[in-house]
Amino acid sequence: MKPNTNPGPATLWMSFRRVFSMFFFLGRKTGKSRVFLLLGLIPVATAVMARIFMTGRAEDVVAVFNEILIVFYVTFDIVILSLFYGTSIVAEETEGRTLSYLTTRPLAKTGIFLGKYAAYVTLMFLMVSASLFFSFFIMNGHRFRDPALYLTFLRYAGALGLGIIAYTALFAFLGTFLKRAILVGLLFGFGWENVVQYFPGSTQRLSLVHYMKSLMPRRAAGGPLSILLFRLEPSTPAVAVLMLIVIAAVFLALACWLFRTKEYLYEE
Amino acid sequence: MTAVIETKSLSKWYGNVLGLSDVSLEIESGITGLLGPNGAGKSTFMKLVTGQMKPNIGRVTVAGQDVWNNFRLFSRIGFCPEQDAFYEDVTGWEFLTGLLRLAGYSGAEAAKRAARALEIVELTQDKDRKIRSYSRGMRQRVKFAQAVAHDPDIIILDEPLSGLDPLGKRRLIRLVKDFQSEGKTIIVSSHVLPEIEAMTSRIVMIHQGKILAQGDIHSIRDLIESYPHMISLKCGDARAVAARFVHDASILKMSFGPDGRSLVVETYKRDAFFSRLQAVVLEDGIEVEELTSPDDNLQAVFDYLVVK
Amino acid sequence: MATVREKGYYHWDGKLVERRLPWLPITRTGIMLAFKKRGFRFLFAGAFLPGIVFLGIIYISENLESFQAMVRGSDRLINITPGSFKTFLTFPPVLFLMIAMMVFAGSGLIADDLKHNSLQIYFSRPLRKKDYLLGKMAVVFFFILAVTLVPGLLVYIFKLIFAGSFKFFLSYPWLVLSIVGFSAFLAVFFAFYTLLLSSLSKNSRYVMVLVFMIYLFSDVLFGILQSIFRTPYMALFSIRANIDQVGALVFAQKPSHPVPVLWSGLILGGICALSALVLNRKIRGVEVIR
Repeated sequence: MKPNTNPGPATLWMSFRRVFSMFFFLGRKTGKSRVFLLLGLIPVATAVMARIFMTGRAEDVVAVFNEILIVFYVTFDIVILSLFYGTSIVAEETEGRTLSYLTTRPLAKTGIFLGKYAAYVTLMFLMVSASLFFSFFIMNGHRFRDPALYLTFLRYAGALGLGIIAYTALFAFLGTFLKRAILVGLLFGFGWENVVQYFPGSTQRLSLVHYMKSLMPRRAAGGPLSILLFRLEPSTPAVAVLMLIVIAAVFLALACWLFRTKEYLYEE
Repeated sequence: MTAVIETKSLSKWYGNVLGLSDVSLEIESGITGLLGPNGAGKSTFMKLVTGQMKPNIGRVTVAGQDVWNNFRLFSRIGFCPEQDAFYEDVTGWEFLTGLLRLAGYSGAEAAKRAARALEIVELTQDKDRKIRSYSRGMRQRVKFAQAVAHDPDIIILDEPLSGLDPLGKRRLIRLVKDFQSEGKTIIVSSHVLPEIEAMTSRIVMIHQGKILAQGDIHSIRDLIESYPHMISLKCGDARAVAARFVHDASILKMSFGPDGRSLVVETYKRDAFFSRLQAVVLEDGIEVEELTSPDDNLQAVFDYLVVK
Repeated sequence: MATVREKGYYHWDGKLVERRLPWLPITRTGIMLAFKKRGFRFLFAGAFLPGIVFLGIIYISENLESFQAMVRGSDRLINITPGSFKTFLTFPPVLFLMIAMMVFAGSGLIADDLKHNSLQIYFSRPLRKKDYLLGKMAVVFFFILAVTLVPGLLVYIFKLIFAGSFKFFLSYPWLVLSIVGFSAFLAVFFAFYTLLLSSLSKNSRYVMVLVFMIYLFSDVLFGILQSIFRTPYMALFSIRANIDQVGALVFAQKPSHPVPVLWSGLILGGICALSALVLNRKIRGVEVIR
C-alpha cells in the first residue's frame, strides 16, 4: 500500500477555518443572499427619501432614523436573517443531502458547525452593517465632523452584531434538532418576541429583543416606535451585552453538542 | 491478511424497522462487492462504516479504530454517497477544490488534485459549468471524483454506476480495478448483479438486513448444497451423451434443447460429473462445442439464496 | 363469444373519460399533506380561537343583563354591527394566523414540485396548467375559508339564534354577502400571494421566510414612510392596511386610512396579476437550465 500523503486530520481551529472559508464563499454565491442584500437597500432608500423630504426637520430626522433602527433592523431584519441562516446551518445540509460531504472529511464536527455558523454570521453582519452604514451616514450627513457620530455608529453596529450572534445561535440550536425549526423560529421571533416585550417587570427579560432595545436609543417619536418602547424597562448596557453573549454561548454549546452526538438521517 | 474494515455483531434499527442485523464481517484490501436488493441494508452498512450513523449494537472499526465521531480516519477514507445531491450553485471545479481544501490541501495542491480527478472522470471540459446544469451521468462522475481526489486508502462507493451510460460504466469499472491494483480497499454496493460481477468475485450478499453469504462467488455456489449444479453441454449428439449418464445415480435431471444439440444436466456431484464427462468424450470421440455452468454466477447464487 | 387473451400486455380498448374536475386530486393531496404535519394541526385548531372568542362576545352581547356587572361602562364594546365582523376578519392576529397557515401549508405547494421535478409528471397526465394552478389554489382556499367564511357564517347564525329574532338580519340584509365576499377575497388574494412566492424557489424553507418577510416588511415600510412623509397614502405599502381598507368597503365601514379604497384594491389586484404572470411563466413541464 502506498504511504498516505494526505495532510491529516484537522484540529478544531483548523476545521473551523476551513469550513468558514468554504461557506463564506458559498454563502455569497447564492441568490438568497442577494435578495437579503437588496432588503438591506431599502432603509438606505428611505434614508435618502428622509433627507430629501425632511429638510429643516433635524429632530424628526433623528426620530425617523431611530425608528428605522429599531423597527426595521432590530425587530425585523436581524431576526429574519438570523432565522434563515441560523436554521440553514444544519437544515440545508440535511434537506440538500450534502451533510455526508462534510462529515466524511477529516474535520471535527464541532468545527464544522462553528465554521458554518461563523461564516453565516459574518455574512449577515457585513450585509447589515453595510446597510446601516449608508442609512446612518446619509441621515446624519450634517454631523460628519462630530467624532461622537462615529462612536454612535460603532455602538449601533456592535449592538446589531451582538443581536445577530445571539439570534443565530438560538435558531441554529433549534435547527439541530427540530425538523421544522423555521416555523418554531418564526413563532418565536415574531410571535413571542413581539408579545412578551409588553409584559411589565422581569418577564420581558425572557426575550432577546429586550436586550437589543436596551442597547438602542430611547428617544421616541410617535408612531410604531413609541408603541415598541412603551413598556420597556431596559437593562443596563453592560447587562444587555453580557446576556446576549451568554445566550449565544449557551445555545452554541448546546447546538455543538447536539450536532456531534445526533445522527442525521435524510428523509426518504 | 489483516482486515481493513471490521464489523462485529453490527445492528441498526430505524425506530421499529430493522436496518441491519448482527452483521460480522472482515473486509480486506481489494474490491468487495456489497450485493442486495433495494432496502436490503447496503446503504445502512455504508453509512455505519463511514461514521454517519452510530450502531445500536456492535462495533465497526476501520484500520482498527472506531468510526463514529472519529474524524481523524477520514483523511484515509473516500465516500461516494448514493444520493444525487450537491451544492448546486457551484461549478464542478469549485466543488472539488472546495472539498479538497476542507481535507486540508493548500490552494495549489487542491487545484492539482482536482484537475487530476476531473481528468480521470473525463469532466475537464465541463469543469467551469454549474453542477445544476450537469447531466445525470456527469453528476455521478463528479461525485465519484470527490471520493477519490484526495487519494484515500479506503474507498466506499454506494451505487457508483447508477445513472451512467454503458460506456461510462465500463470506464468507471476499469478505474475501480486500477485502484485495486494500487492496493486500495474498495467496497462497492449495487443491486445490479452484472456490475458487481464485472468488478470483483469477492462479494457480500445482504438481504433484509442480514448477511446471506460472503466470499468468492464460485465458492459460495459450491457451498449451496440444497441446489444441484447445472451444467450445459452443446455437442453433435446430445442424446448419445445423455445415454451414457442415465444410470448415474448422482444425476438428478437431464433435459434437451429444442435443436437436440444441447443437454442440460443437474447434479449434486459436479466434479465427479466433469471427470466422467471427460472420459466419455475421449472414449466416444464426441466433439464438444460448448460447456458452461449456467448457475455458477451471481444471479443464480442470488436467486437461490434470496428468491427461492 | 369468449376470447382468450395472453397473460401479457394488451392494449386497453375502452374509452378515456375526461375528469370533470381534474384539479381536485391535487387539492385533496395538498390538504392531506398539510394535515400530516402535527404542528399544522395545532395551528389550524388555534386559528379557530378568534372565531370562538367572537362567538363569546356575541353571546355576551345578547345576554347583556346577565353580564352587566362584568361589562359596566363598556356598552360600546358589545354592540354587534357589521363593523364587528369586519374587525374580526381583518384583526391583525387573525391575519397573522392566516399567514402562519400559509407558511405551514402553502410554502411548499409549488416549491416542492419544482424541487422534485414533479411538474413533468403532472403534465404527462391529461392536466392543463390552469387545472394544476386551480388545484394548488384550492388548497389555500380551503384553509383560508375554513378560518374566515366558516366561523364568520357560524357566528352570524348564532347571533340570530342568541337574539331569538331576525332583527339583525333585517337591519343588515347584505351582511351575509359581505362575509362571503370578503372571505372569498381573502382566499383569492392569499392564494395568489402564496403561490407567487412558492414558485420563486425550490427551497421551501426559503419560501416560508419570504411569505412571512414580505407581509411583515410591508407593514414595517409603511411605518417608516409614514414618519417621513406624514401622509396616510403610505398605508398603500402595507398589505395588512390594504386588506383592512378593502374590508371597510365590503362591510360599509369608514376606512381606517383616509385613502381611496379603490387604490388599495388596485394594489392587491396588482399583486394577484403579477402572481398570475409569474406563475404562467414558471409552471411548465420542461425546465430550462442555463
